[in-house]
Amino acid sequence: MPNETKDEVYEVDKLTLLDCAKIHLTQEKSGFLTLEYGGQTYSRVDPTRLIPFLSKTTYISLSYENEEKEFREIGVIKDMKELSEKQYKLLDRFLEYKYYMPEITKVYSIRDNMRGAIFVKADTTSGEKTICVRDWYQNFRMLSAKYLYVNDADGNKYFCSDIEKLDRKSRNVLEMFT
Amino acid sequence: MDLRIKLPENAGEDIVYSLPFRFANDGERVDGIFCTDREYIYIYVGGELEEKYKISDFSEFVCRRQIGSSMAQGIKEDGEAVCFCAFSQEMFVRYGEVMKLLEHYVRTGELITETDEDEPVCPNCGLPLEGGSECVYCKSKGSTILRLLKRIGPYKKFFITAVICTMVSELIWVFMPYLDRIIIDDYVTPKVHEWTGFVSIVIAIVSLLLTAGVMELLNMRNSFRTALNIGRDLRQEVFEKSQQLSMSSLSKRTAGELINRVSGDAAKLEEFITANGKDAIVKLLSLLMIGVLLFVMDWRLALMTIVPIPVVFFIVKKLFNVMALRYTAVWKHSKNHSETLHDILNGIAVVKSFGSEAREIAHYEGCSLKWAKACVRAEIMWYLTIPFSEFVLTVGNFLVLYFGGSMILDRTMSLGELIQFTTYVAMLYEPIRWLIHIPRTLADTSVSAGKVFEILDMQSDVRDIEDPVDLDIKGDIEFDDVYFGYKAYVPVLKGISCKINKGEMIGIVGYSGVGKSTMINLILRLYDCTQGEIRIDGVPIKNIAQHSLRSQVGVVLQETFLFDGSVLDNISYARPDAPFEDIIKAAKIANAHDFIVKLPDGYNTRVGNKGYQLSGGERQRIAIARALLHDPKIIILDEATASLDTQTEKQIQQALGRLTAGRTTIAIAHRLSTLSNADRLIVLDKGKLAEFGTHKELMKSKGVYYRLVMAQRETTKMKKAAPQNTGSTAEAF
Repeated sequence: MPNETKDEVYEVDKLTLLDCAKIHLTQEKSGFLTLEYGGQTYSRVDPTRLIPFLSKTTYISLSYENEEKEFREIGVIKDMKELSEKQYKLLDRFLEYKYYMPEITKVYSIRDNMRGAIFVKADTTSGEKTICVRDWYQNFRMLSAKYLYVNDADGNKYFCSDIEKLDRKSRNVLEMFT
Repeated sequence: MDLRIKLPENAGEDIVYSLPFRFANDGERVDGIFCTDREYIYIYVGGELEEKYKISDFSEFVCRRQIGSSMAQGIKEDGEAVCFCAFSQEMFVRYGEVMKLLEHYVRTGELITETDEDEPVCPNCGLPLEGGSECVYCKSKGSTILRLLKRIGPYKKFFITAVICTMVSELIWVFMPYLDRIIIDDYVTPKVHEWTGFVSIVIAIVSLLLTAGVMELLNMRNSFRTALNIGRDLRQEVFEKSQQLSMSSLSKRTAGELINRVSGDAAKLEEFITANGKDAIVKLLSLLMIGVLLFVMDWRLALMTIVPIPVVFFIVKKLFNVMALRYTAVWKHSKNHSETLHDILNGIAVVKSFGSEAREIAHYEGCSLKWAKACVRAEIMWYLTIPFSEFVLTVGNFLVLYFGGSMILDRTMSLGELIQFTTYVAMLYEPIRWLIHIPRTLADTSVSAGKVFEILDMQSDVRDIEDPVDLDIKGDIEFDDVYFGYKAYVPVLKGISCKINKGEMIGIVGYSGVGKSTMINLILRLYDCTQGEIRIDGVPIKNIAQHSLRSQVGVVLQETFLFDGSVLDNISYARPDAPFEDIIKAAKIANAHDFIVKLPDGYNTRVGNKGYQLSGGERQRIAIARALLHDPKIIILDEATASLDTQTEKQIQQALGRLTAGRTTIAIAHRLSTLSNADRLIVLDKGKLAEFGTHKELMKSKGVYYRLVMAQRETTKMKKAAPQNTGSTAEAF
């Protein structure tokens, strides 16, 4: 929770780009982060990737919920590279875990049960698995010409940033479903 | 549900729940186990005890779903939150259950060790069961095509007639080459001028051809009757299902997708049955019959004919799997194409107002191109393989001609016999050619059949009990410790308890997203509450027949949907058999009659998408008239006057006043002033019922409602001040 004074006005129409040199983040027991910035301390800060499919380390919004459960954005980090190494690591670890999304590195086979679900046997950065995708025409789709996004039946997300870079067999298997 | 999946090595026997996790509370990737006994929560990382928390230190336990992971948190009485661990989403339901049970434990002191909740995923295919105990995907084992053929059942009379007629005409065609042989061997080759026999054979041929024609006519008539009826049944069933499914099931699919399945896919199945349903039986029978005839005539030549067949069948089998995938891709792109079209044309006003026609044309072109490419890919595959298979198939024909010719020269076979034989060979190849083409048809059809059965197999998550009550509603509504979340374990409403008396007008207020519309959705039973109970006149809402409940609840929403039809049709939608006088009365009470009179065709004026464009206020008044004609016992007003100007709002308020008189009314409005005539107000805050009382009482207690009123007064003041500022700026310029 922030130490927000009662008179402070939340300017909803103003984009605040944060000065990375002044950012000091620390890990909280709650799982979220505490931010010290411009003399203010904000707790339960929840960083969000504004363009998660396009960039993982630029345009990171830092926000919290006030006592009324209203959304409050503190500001946006334009590029995490500007942060100190320690701060970068801390924020990156949080984002990597919040957006935990194994990358598909190889596709062995895809079985269609002809009733809207497919079973994708694949190698991912978190090991080999069979990914069950329900309503696959919604949840197994190309976000651009190369970026494959998969949302499995449990809500786990997988991606492949460039399907062109996969081996030939994987590309052949994927061809029918992308 | 198994809540002891992975136990730590040195765990004691008193461990109640034990689940693995992937991330420590600081986001670091670890191999950990979360477990509890009756007193403590233990966090093991890499087999070592890392942390220990006393369960009684916490008052609330929650699971927070993030983007790619979720966290389990405990919240202490003073609001301090502690993250125990984080995990990937497949564990969410289990952690959610553990958090729910731990909260129940701290609240009541009762520790439930064995939960009767079903396993979250099907052990066979791994897909979530979503509340059901059986997996809809694994339950019915029959292949989709077989399921489709079973639908012939109710029309078996027509179907059997069609099969018999086709078989008779096939028999005639099989008999024809025999007559040809007699003509050649007995009359043409020996040059015999015996006219009586010759004429009788010609008469036999003509009569057989006529009979075959009649049989074909009867066959077509009965085949179409069967196929069209099955098509109609399927369309009807898919449509009925779309009406029966709950809102949460339906919201997963777009209107365009459902339209596609009702019309497009069902039509494809109908076409399949017309063209191939009975053919399958007849072609296989004629294959068998001609095969036997060929062997009886000359087994050596017959063997030559059938040698290439296994090769062809091998190719066909291989082809089926590839074709099924290629047609799935065609289906997907065709679906995308029609949805895009539906989307763009529905939002044509937005497209035009932003001048983005060119962009949308390019968007559409992209979808259309992808569809075309998928079709080309499927067809190319097909046309590359088929000529080759056909060539392999006819190799036998050449062998028969060569060896048959030699036999004629050796005088071991007559010319007539060879012609009869080669005609049979050609007839044998026809069902085989049909079998070669079947993978393409079957693949295309099984994709469509799959899509249709997917809808038919869906289970509505709001179902009537076995013997539901048809209740004559008086209007008392009671919420008893109601919890609800659109997604399991993410509650939107928490522990709501309140009693609304018959005839009372209740306003629901609170910040955006606090659960106001959710409360209304629960009263309408568009969703079922996850915990607790809602009772109407003391009867649990789950026991009341959905039809009975909804026929006695009237709804006026912010956006009124009018069906394509006349004003009369739209008002009488609530009660189609209502006398016209009642409709006028309802329109009068709703302040709608006066503007309807001024419409070009009065009550017959066509409104809706294709008709006369009514203003928001006029549409709203038609909706009120519709609700009035319905004569509901409970009225729900969801932001009914939010998008109207002050003058129109006054007229609508007046109409609403008449509508709600003497009926239990529940109203949501952002503008608190519109709830001034409410008897009592429910104030929701963070999903909980914060306050419940009259305007006076709530203002006096200076709680959430007071703050809302004050904040709104402040905004109104600012709005009033704004034009003055503009004025002064204008003056300054």
